[in-house]
This record gives sequence, C-alpha cells and structure tokens, in this order.
Amino acid sequence: MTLSAAERARYDRHLALAEIGAAGQERLKKSRVLVAGAGGLGSPAALYLAAAGVGTLGVADGDSVELSNLQRQVLFASADIGRLKAATARERLLALNPEIAVIAHAVTLTSRNIREVLQGYDLVLDGTDRVNTRYLINDACVLFGKPLVSAAIHRFEGQAITYVPGRGPCYRCLFAEPQPGAVASCAEAGVLGVLPGVLGAIQATEAIKLLTGAGEPLIGRLLIYDALELRFTELPVARRADCAVCGEHPTITSPRDAGESCDAPDLSSVQRLSPLALRDRLASARAAGPLVLIDVREPREFATRHLAGARNIPLGELGGRLGELAEGGTPVFICRSGRRSLAACALAVRAGIEAPAHLEGGLLAWAAQLDPDFEVASG
Amino acid sequence: MSCTVRIPSPLRSYTGGAAAVPGAGATIEEVLAHLERRFGGIRFRMVDEQNRIRPHIRLYLNTSEVTALSQPVRPGDTVHVICALSGG
Repeated sequence: MTLSAAERARYDRHLALAEIGAAGQERLKKSRVLVAGAGGLGSPAALYLAAAGVGTLGVADGDSVELSNLQRQVLFASADIGRLKAATARERLLALNPEIAVIAHAVTLTSRNIREVLQGYDLVLDGTDRVNTRYLINDACVLFGKPLVSAAIHRFEGQAITYVPGRGPCYRCLFAEPQPGAVASCAEAGVLGVLPGVLGAIQATEAIKLLTGAGEPLIGRLLIYDALELRFTELPVARRADCAVCGEHPTITSPRDAGESCDAPDLSSVQRLSPLALRDRLASARAAGPLVLIDVREPREFATRHLAGARNIPLGELGGRLGELAEGGTPVFICRSGRRSLAACALAVRAGIEAPAHLEGGLLAWAAQLDPDFEVASG
Repeated sequence: MSCTVRIPSPLRSYTGGAAAVPGAGATIEEVLAHLERRFGGIRFRMVDEQNRIRPHIRLYLNTSEVTALSQPVRPGDTVHVICALSGG
C-alpha cells in the first residue's frame, strides 16, 4: 500500500523518523483501529491516530454530546451538543484527515454486538467509562486475539497499560473481577479536563508503536500518572496462571456482560424510588412500614448535607456492616447519583435482605426535583 | 519502622487528599493497621473480611506485588496502593 504524493507531504515528519519511515507509514495506512468510547480519552487518541494516518478508524460510542463533556472531550464543539458522539467524531476526524476512513459505531458495546464490532479491527483502544464494559472489551480482545491499549482516569490520576494476547497479562490479570460501585465515576468524583489528554495521547502513542513495530510497548507495565505531583510511576504486572480469561484453565470462553455472571444478584426485587416517591413514603412510613435511610456516600460528602435521619455507611464499608441493617425496617440506600446506592442494593440482596430500596437518581435528583437548596457534595 | 505509603486517587478522601503518607510497621499487615488507626475505614477499602486483598486493589512493596500481608517491610520501603479506575 504505497503513499500518494499528498500523503507523503502530510506525513513528512513521520517519514523523517527512521523508526517509522515510509514502511511504517504504509503499515499505519493499512491498519484498522477501534477507539471504544469517544470521551475524554477517546477524543485525543482518535484525533492523533487520524492525524497520524491510521487508514481505518472506528469510533464506538452510543452516547450523545453533553455540555459537561466539552471541558475535556476535545473532539466536540458547543454546536455538537445533543448530537451522537460517534457520528460527530467521524465528521471531525475526516475534516482533520480526509485521506483516512472513519466508521461510526453509535452503539453501547455489549456481549451481543462486541464480536461484530471488533471483528474488522487490528487493535482496540479502551477509553470507556463503565467498569463492566472494560471487562467485556478485555475478554473479547483476549478471546479474539486483538491487542488492547487501555487507559482510565479519576480526578487527577490516570493509568495506562497495553495488553497483547500471548505476550503478557490481560486486564483480569491486573484486577481479577469488577466491583461495581467501589470507585466513583468521573461524573461523581470529577476529573481534571487535561488529564485524559495526557493518557489518551499515551494510548495513541502505544497504538502507533504496536502498528509500526517501533519501540518498546507498555506490555506488563502499569503506568500511573499523578497530575497533581506530576509523577509517573511504573509497576510490573505479570500474567496470572489462574486468570479467568487468559489463564491455563479459563472459565470465560465467550464475551459476556457482567450482569450475566452466575453469581450476579437478582435486582428485580429492588424498589427504585423516585424523589417524590421517597418523600411520600417517608411521610406515610407508618402505613407501609418503617424505612431506614442509609447514605452510602463518603463521610465528607455526608457531612456537607444529608437527608434528615439518614445514617452514613460508605459503600466500601457496607459489606462488613450489613448486619447492622438486620432490623429496623426496609433499608433505603442513598448516594449522589444513584449508582452507588444500586450497588448497595446488590450487596444487600446478596446478603439475603429482601426488597431493599434506593433513591433513583440520587440526591442530585432530590435536589433537582424537590429541594433546589439541597447542596450535594462532589463525589 | 518507617516507610511511605502511596495512596490512589479514590482513597485520598481518607487521607485529606494526601498522595503519600508516612507508614509504620514491620509487615504489610502492620502498615495497614497503622493506616487504619490514622485514617479510619481505609483498610476495609483495600482488604475484605477474610483478610484478602480486594480484587480491584493491588498492593506493591517497592516494585514487587504483595501476595501476603505477612510480607516484611523495611525502613525506607514504599508501599504502593493501586486501585482500579474506570473513568474515561
């Protein structure tokens, strides 16, 4: 696959590098890379890969652009609010480099579509923002033999690592299984806007190295970046013989959603209360039985403001303190956005507590719908 | 014996935002117990009721993964607490 005169001009600075040169640039041109998640990480990664001349770029994201995305998701502009991210990203990337092809996958990756989405690509970048999706993508990449460049962010900290099946560990070797709710999302905890710029650029760097064969990839080395201290730390990660997907006796042999695992709790009994429903239930608790309000946020968040009568048991401590809920009424778990409280319900169901409840939408919904003066601390 | 414990972003709410705190103890278990005394609740975020390191947490002693809480710690060592992140 030779380069045209226009391409030779466009990629002139790559051609000047002995480690890439014409041969490496031609390899980039015939490469197909999927960017999973067009968020803070996917934005810079996709822009740099498009600029670098990766011949076919896929962008998988089922969400639409929101105003709060623009602080870090540099693929998008104010005029894009409300538009599908995947389609908008395609336009932006083609405007940057019309020499490449860009495929928009406006879907949320699930066990049902991941094989079809991944099958046309040589390499995957994971910049998604859901714990379960990270495990799904990892498992699919191991099972289908695709290299995976992964990064994740939280407040001022980021992590990056490259997984190549057969050449090192996978994500499950690093963190064996998901623990939903244990770590707050960026929406709950906040994130420095430029942080994913650093990590996304590292992902793009790794992709270019893997595709061209240049340098030493980040295989078996977890890179941790602390933006506040401007500190990079590198720690070794070994492949685990007992890994559930890449180990010697794998138990995961096809991609599955985390909710499909055998020990996933049945959440059908969980009472999902709207702010209005919770207020009404509190007012008439005598009729329907007493409610025990359990606020599963961190103590600092609880201290800022909480619902009257609520007890604070942070989600991370709940597993060891469920015995405290044995009596007193139906537990109603409360958090900032409704994610941690649902995870608390899952713990309660698993522990045998029947029909726990949670405040759907969390205290953010409570403030928005019932009490605009209710201050909700950042997570 | 004194060491340094590096705290991951999701657990810094316990340490008042500090990225690194002084640790004390002759083993990882003792270092975690010392941490718990200073920052109540932090140990349970790393280790479960059966004293197992949680699956979304990894501990390193300098650059070696900690596989047993009885592992000895020497003065000047650094204990890294690594937590799975999921933000994108």
